[in-house]
Amino acid sequence: MSLLERRYRSVLRLLPASYRAEREEEMVDAFMELSGDVPDEEGPRPRWGEVAGVLALSVRVRLGGAGASSPYVAVGAAVRLLALLGLATQAAFALAGLIQTLPSGLHPVLAGEPGSAQRLAAIAGLGAGACAVAAVVALLRGHVPAAKLLAVAGVAPAAASFVPTWQAGAGALQNVAHLVFAVVPVLALLVGYHGDVTPRRHRWALVLPPLAAGAAVLVTPTLLYAATPASPSWLFLWVHLGSVIPVWAVAALAVLARRSGPAPALALSAAGLLLLMTRLPELRSLPEATLRAMAVAQCALLATLTVALAVAGARALAKARPLPAARP
Amino acid sequence: MNITEPMFLALTALVDEPRHGYGIVQEVDRLSGGRVQLKIGTLYGVLDRLSAAGLVVLDREEAQRGRLRRYYRLTDDGAEALRAEAARLAATAATATARLRARTAGGAA
Repeated sequence: MSLLERRYRSVLRLLPASYRAEREEEMVDAFMELSGDVPDEEGPRPRWGEVAGVLALSVRVRLGGAGASSPYVAVGAAVRLLALLGLATQAAFALAGLIQTLPSGLHPVLAGEPGSAQRLAAIAGLGAGACAVAAVVALLRGHVPAAKLLAVAGVAPAAASFVPTWQAGAGALQNVAHLVFAVVPVLALLVGYHGDVTPRRHRWALVLPPLAAGAAVLVTPTLLYAATPASPSWLFLWVHLGSVIPVWAVAALAVLARRSGPAPALALSAAGLLLLMTRLPELRSLPEATLRAMAVAQCALLATLTVALAVAGARALAKARPLPAARP
Repeated sequence: MNITEPMFLALTALVDEPRHGYGIVQEVDRLSGGRVQLKIGTLYGVLDRLSAAGLVVLDREEAQRGRLRRYYRLTDDGAEALRAEAARLAATAATATARLRARTAGGAA
């Protein structure tokens, strides 16, 4: 075996073993024909474009593209569910932010002088919120390319403002956690909804009521807390992302009880990990023992259910019989 | 099924005879006048999709210098899908040509 063939086989190890078992030999044959005989002394290497092509194929196959075995089909479904859940959560909070601005008009929330960076950031924040809401609607209506563009636009101001905040060193860990919480669902959308996925176009009747109900459940505590100056201090642990925790926990328990298959368990496990990541840095900054105890209880709940979901998802994946890649 | 340009060219490459992976890459290169040069990773993504849709199937396997070589052929469904896509593209091209002709005639008048 020549050096170049060995190197091509190394590149092909990027692909899942089940796919390699079906395709490796003919892919090596194609690579070698394309390259011609190159003596080992010349130190031939696969071109970067070829490596990138195999990497793109690997991502697609691992996320349930054509030719993927059943465990990877389930992983792809989990990634798409995570994208939908994450984007819907962000959309719900964006909607709450927009609702809060409406009764008082836009002017009070547009901080800073006209033309200032502060004013620009406020406008970008409102625009990003509208994009986040539109992204979920577009996704549920089957307009995947539009959903991807809107989701990226929705997360862009948060990502752009992260660098200055990070440099200022203010609440660094918390900022990283919140950025990851916002960015991961967008990445899941970008890679999970690849060309082999046929998007489902849900009827408006199945899009708007669940979105409105979900938004109401998630944001009502936040709106009530903001409107009630004398709220007990512990309540702030249950607003914003804190209000997601009970909803997530109920969904997690339902998935565990019904053994709903690998995709829901894995998606909710990943969502739990993201929530836990946003909560842990706050433990350091809580002033009262009661608050700390409540936050620790939240973290314990998140960690326990996340692990249980991961185990259930992994077991269900193991049961999914690994089929060979789609036989040509 | 949305037929992308690499899928369209790969189907076209298989119209006259079964071809193996590198043979498809070469034929696509020739058909497109060198404009589309399929990467091997891209080619097998395309073959996976066409196989899953039943538009191409394995024709035969051969051993070449100790390596496996698989030849693929177009199915009847593949030929029909290609015919429909070619008709759609031809209609679009005809519309564009007619409009350009009208524009040229309007400019000359």
